[in-house]
Amino acid sequence: MEYRDYYRILGVERAATAEQVKTAYRRLARKFHPDVSKEKNAEERFKEVQEAYEVLKDPEKRAAYDQLGSDWKTGQQFRPPPDWGSGFEFGGGGARAGRARYGAGPDEEAHAEQGFSDFFSSLFGGGSPFGGATRRGGRDHHARIDIALEQAFHGTTSTLELKRPELRGDGTLEVRTHTVRVTIPAGVTDGQLIRLAGQGEPGAAGGRAGDLYLEAHLLPHRLYQADGRDVTLTLPVAPWEAALGASIAVPTLGGPVEMHIPSGAQSGQKLRLRGRGLPGKPAGDQYVQLKVVLPPATSAEAKAVYEEMRARLDFNPRADLTG
Amino acid sequence: MVQVTNITTGQVLGDGEWIALTEICRVCRIDAGAVHELAELGVVSPRGKVPEEWEFPAAALRRLLLVGRLMRDLGVNASGAALAVELLEAQHALERQIHRLERLVRPEG
Repeated sequence: MEYRDYYRILGVERAATAEQVKTAYRRLARKFHPDVSKEKNAEERFKEVQEAYEVLKDPEKRAAYDQLGSDWKTGQQFRPPPDWGSGFEFGGGGARAGRARYGAGPDEEAHAEQGFSDFFSSLFGGGSPFGGATRRGGRDHHARIDIALEQAFHGTTSTLELKRPELRGDGTLEVRTHTVRVTIPAGVTDGQLIRLAGQGEPGAAGGRAGDLYLEAHLLPHRLYQADGRDVTLTLPVAPWEAALGASIAVPTLGGPVEMHIPSGAQSGQKLRLRGRGLPGKPAGDQYVQLKVVLPPATSAEAKAVYEEMRARLDFNPRADLTG
Repeated sequence: MVQVTNITTGQVLGDGEWIALTEICRVCRIDAGAVHELAELGVVSPRGKVPEEWEFPAAALRRLLLVGRLMRDLGVNASGAALAVELLEAQHALERQIHRLERLVRPEG
C-alpha cells in the first residue's frame, strides 16, 4: 500500500494546532464536498480530506501517525510497523473526539462506505488497535449507481463491485470484494433510492446485516432531458411544418410515435405526449419542445423562395419593438 | 482478495412508500431531534400526530441524506443545512432549465 501524507493533504504544518487542522478541514470540505462542489475529482479529493481529518483531529491517532516519522512521502510503499499502536490507550471508538455536533448522527467507523484508503484501514480500521468496538448489527452502506435513461425506462441489471473490510476470526482485517448483481426495476428516477436488504455491513455474532442504499444517478442523454418521470425532447421542425401543421414521427423512449403539430406553432412551444415518459403510477409524460429551423438560403431556388416570401408576406417580426 | 457474489433485486423507494422515523435516523445518520427541527423548518413533512408515529415519504429520504451529509461533513446546523438544500435544489432546477434552453438555441447540424 502507499503512504499518505495527511498534513500535506490538509495543507498544514506538522506542528499545526487542533484549531488550525479544523479550519483547514472546513475550508477544504467546503471546496470539495461532492454535494456542493463543481471542482474536478471533487469526490476523490473530499475523501482524501475526510480521511486526513479523521486522523489528525483525533489526538491518539495523530500521535500514533506522527510516530511513523516525517521522512515518508506520499505514494511511497508502506507497511505498518510490527509494534503499531503499542503505547497508546484506546477509547474504544477512535473517532469520537470532535463528533459532538448537534444533529449529526454517529459518524465513527464509517470508513468503508466513505472509501478510505487501504493505508487508513491498515492503521486505523476495524482490525487495528484503533478500531472501534464490535457492533452486533451491521451498518447501512450507501453507493451511487449510474443509469442510462433507456435502462431506467426498461429496467436493468447492473453489477457492482463493493470493497468491504471484514474481520477475520483472528481479529485481523481482510478486504473482500463483493460482486452484487442487482436488478433495478423500470421507472427509477434521478436521485431515487434503491434499497438492497441485507447487503450492507455484515452483522456480528448473529446480528442483522445492514442494508445497501443505492442512489440512482441518471446519465445525461443525447436527446432527452429527464425531470422526475417526465422527459423533454427538443424537436427540430421546418417553418412550413410549424406554420401549416404536420404529422411527425417523434422518438420516445418506448419507440417512435406519430404526433400532430398544430398549425401556427412557434419555436419554443411545448407539446405533451401523455404517459410517454418513465413508467410508474402514474407514468411520466414526454414534453416535445419545438425548435423551428430555417432552411439555409444557399441555393438559387431557396433564395427565390425567400425573395417571394419577402415580397408577398406582410410580416414584421419586430412589430412589438416599435411603439 | 476474496471474491463473493450476491444476486439481489433492489427495492425502489418510490412514491407511496412511507419510511418510519427510526429508519430515517439510521439511514441518514441524523438524530431524531434534528429531524424534528427540519420538519419545523419545512424541509420535510411527516405524517403522524406525534414524533413517535412519524413517517416520511420516500422522496424526503433524498433530502435528509443530503442534509445529514452537509451537517456531518461541513459542520453546519439544521437551519444552515435546510437553507443549503433549498438553494442547491433551486440551482439544479435552474441548471436543467438552462440546459433545455441551450438545446433550443443551439444551431442544428
